[in-house]
Amino acid sequence: MKSILAILILSAAPVLAGATLSPRNSSPGDIGSESLVRVYATSQAFDFFRPWAKKPSVMHRGLGPVVENGQVLVTAELVANHTYVELEKSGTAEKTPATVVAVDYDSNLALLQPTDPEFLSSVPALRLDSGARVGDQAMILQLESNGRIAETLATISTITITRYPLDHLGLLTYRLSTPLENRDGSFTMPAVRKGRLLGLLMRYDTRTQTANLIPAPVIQHFLEDAKGKSDPGFPRAGVAFSPTRDPQFRRYIKLKKDGGVYVTHVSPGAAADRAGLRKGDIILALNDQPIDQDGNFEDPEFGKISFSHLISTRSHLGDTLTFKIQRDGIEKSLPVTLDADASPASVSASHIFDTQPRYFILGGLVFQELSRPYLQEWGARWKEEAPQRLVYLDAYQEELPPDTGKVVFLSQVLPSPDTLGFGNVSPGVVKSVNGVTIKSLDDIARAVATPVDGFHKITFEEDPGFIMLDAAAAESGRDRLMQEYGIPAAENLKSP
Amino acid sequence: MFRLIGFTLCGFFSLAASAPARSPAPATAAKVANGLVRIQETSQAPNYRVPWSPGEVSGGVGAGFMIGENRIMTNAHVVSNARFLAVSKEGDPKPYPARVLFVAHDCDLALLTVDDPKFFQDAASLQFGGVPAIESTVSVYGYPIGGDRLSVTRGVVSRIDFQPYSHSGVDSHLTIQIDAAINPGNSGGPVLQDGLVVGVAFQGYSGNVAQNVGYMIPTPVVNRFLKDVEDGRYDKYVDLTLSYHPLHNPGMRRALKLPDGDSGVLVGDVYSGGVSEGLLKTGDVLLSIDGLPIASDGTIKMAEGTVEMAEVVERKFLGDSVDLEILRDGEPLKVKVDLSHSWPFTLQANAYDETPRYVVFGGLVFQPVDANFIREHRPNDLRLRYAFDQFISQGIYRDRSEIVTLSSVLADPVNAYAAPFTYQIVDTINGGKISRIDDVAAAFAKPSDYYVIQMLGLGRPIVLEREAVEAARDRIRQRYRLASEENLKK
Repeated sequence: MKSILAILILSAAPVLAGATLSPRNSSPGDIGSESLVRVYATSQAFDFFRPWAKKPSVMHRGLGPVVENGQVLVTAELVANHTYVELEKSGTAEKTPATVVAVDYDSNLALLQPTDPEFLSSVPALRLDSGARVGDQAMILQLESNGRIAETLATISTITITRYPLDHLGLLTYRLSTPLENRDGSFTMPAVRKGRLLGLLMRYDTRTQTANLIPAPVIQHFLEDAKGKSDPGFPRAGVAFSPTRDPQFRRYIKLKKDGGVYVTHVSPGAAADRAGLRKGDIILALNDQPIDQDGNFEDPEFGKISFSHLISTRSHLGDTLTFKIQRDGIEKSLPVTLDADASPASVSASHIFDTQPRYFILGGLVFQELSRPYLQEWGARWKEEAPQRLVYLDAYQEELPPDTGKVVFLSQVLPSPDTLGFGNVSPGVVKSVNGVTIKSLDDIARAVATPVDGFHKITFEEDPGFIMLDAAAAESGRDRLMQEYGIPAAENLKSP
Repeated sequence: MFRLIGFTLCGFFSLAASAPARSPAPATAAKVANGLVRIQETSQAPNYRVPWSPGEVSGGVGAGFMIGENRIMTNAHVVSNARFLAVSKEGDPKPYPARVLFVAHDCDLALLTVDDPKFFQDAASLQFGGVPAIESTVSVYGYPIGGDRLSVTRGVVSRIDFQPYSHSGVDSHLTIQIDAAINPGNSGGPVLQDGLVVGVAFQGYSGNVAQNVGYMIPTPVVNRFLKDVEDGRYDKYVDLTLSYHPLHNPGMRRALKLPDGDSGVLVGDVYSGGVSEGLLKTGDVLLSIDGLPIASDGTIKMAEGTVEMAEVVERKFLGDSVDLEILRDGEPLKVKVDLSHSWPFTLQANAYDETPRYVVFGGLVFQPVDANFIREHRPNDLRLRYAFDQFISQGIYRDRSEIVTLSSVLADPVNAYAAPFTYQIVDTINGGKISRIDDVAAAFAKPSDYYVIQMLGLGRPIVLEREAVEAARDRIRQRYRLASEENLKK
């Protein structure tokens, strides 16, 4: 509760500040460009088709605001899978290496610290501008190839909750309409208003000329986490709901009040589940804020907005929220504590950055764990191109039994004398190895220690049902296989 | 694998055959022309988007040939969904009404007859030959696009192999590939060698995929069809309904205790409801079929050469049996599989001469999902596409024999909030599981204050109040010109 109060006070402040500031022309000085630092991030992603190898490195440039303590704020995308990050002061060519001190892929934010502590000591911090309204104007800042900063006027058209590109989590988003030109591949672009940071741009749609901004309240949450005020992260309650606008549906669930949403699913093990929320409950209010038929509450700053904003952005891990629900016609209150372990491990990870994908090679058979990045490796049309069973398991993982674990599948067969004839075995989900049920790659690693009658028997969910591998031959041929295919190690079982 | 494009029927009629410059024997060409038939089809295919509408009428032209006993052979796709068929002989301008005697959609063949006996007077029927040799020359007769008269093209036999038949989309049979130009309008026409019919032209690739690739149905398939209908009924193909896999891996061969050599295939999936269920199981090794040894790639040696082992079953009929020698857990075993019934779960096959089934309730239109439905609706819903595509391979048919979806919403106040549920799969209605479209009709026929329709997945149910549905009933029927609120017959 303490941190919620803190946000409310902070968010009230800029409104006052904005009102007292005299209107200024939007010259670079006024927009706070002295607080901007050029960021050069070299990244190298892992290849999920060859999990032992990395893809070619790429360099992205961005423009990051100095926020507090001489630290620079960028999007997490800019530094995902980074190998080297460098900062360059605006106006001079002075450079210094930097380290990533905090990164959060839910909110798509990262904080950089120069290795030279004096590097940004003279640079003023850009403060956050939390009091935005629909219709407000701001400047989006980009880097020109000559190093100059280009400004583009933008107008806030919508303030809403959207799913952020790197994760499934819905967070507060400002949508701006702006005729942004593509300049020199800038990855992080700040939007500023009256010398304050309104947000960081994360997506721009050239067709509709709209930009999605990570707004100041989300940045605020991230920075507070980074300061160690609470466990870092954006909480999830683990509740899926449906609106109750349909009057026939309202009568059927005996919902007499005006508002309320119908709980359609509670993720097993998540915060709401442990607090006792159930499918079929009707959520009427959250911390005494009434929830309407669409799941919105009246936010003092932004007006009607989804109640997930109260949970994910306005609350921190460890906070307790009070859900007022109707169950079997009776109203009751349920305290839901948003613990750090509130979200159970997912069946298929939505993102894997900065760590090598896990894999296990047995006699030329390559096993991997299902993840969204693996599926995305199939290209822009991965939903059609990737193995359909895997796409299905990823898309509907919430419906799988709670004890599913990870989905382990045969991702490819490296042709060798041991795998002769297995070349056309399709990517199949592994059920068991040598009689041991497989719920992770670690299970496979354990199971291969005990072959049956000298053979490894691997069973699959689908056709052909099973294959068998000569255990001794797989063992003796391993080094040669690794050498021939240039694979440095037969396994990577390190957890991210 | 490129998708085969079945021929569209848009050939042109020609009055007389121009004698091909290098025909094998001019006398033969004249005789062939005597047995040739041009088929003018008027068809009406139902509209699966408006399942109560009788559908659009269209026309086409194909070829056929007389085979004696007042019968004309052609492709099934030439006469599918026919409302009226008119046939005319080569050189005789008069069209005669014809009717379908038998149609076999699984092998794209049909038999027609003409009731007017005058039609068959001084008509020559063509005789069937065997399987032509690779590289031998054949002539294709028909009325393809590109001119008005009978067309004859020549080519060589390029390949004899199992190929998918695009008419049903799910069946594969022996097929002969030739390099003669085969184009729309050739469909159903005879392919001749030395004056004997060695195949029926039926499909090719569209020009931007491959050139000089045409396919004909060879005589083993044709003869099987003719024998099948001898009892006055077409029984369809019967299949072992299992998947089998090559056994090349030496380690796996040792593990399965297979003798040295190069024989045997591994049984993968044995489909529930098929003839092999309970007789064979995953992990069995098939060693021989009707006494013919099975090689490790699944082929056998027959008189025609090396063919897929399935060819043995291909030539059998409903009620026949297959003798298998297998290895189970290292022990040899003899298994007799009775081909007692054909595979029941055929929703992935293109269907013809059927009326769409549907149920309308409160303006919600429910339909079973099959190949025709998918082709016309082209739903994007991931779960629905998965359920259709993987219906057999993921064993979804074991759980429900049909996939029923909310295919559209006839907008009305009673269903104002139902549109987002379109193309979701119906799981239960009032708690009762929906395994086929008939279950939907039965559930709505039971009186209840509320009808609670739960879709697969984690969403809320659709709820309809009985009173609201009844009040909207006539309004919806009139506004959307619903001829009938349900059709449960194919």
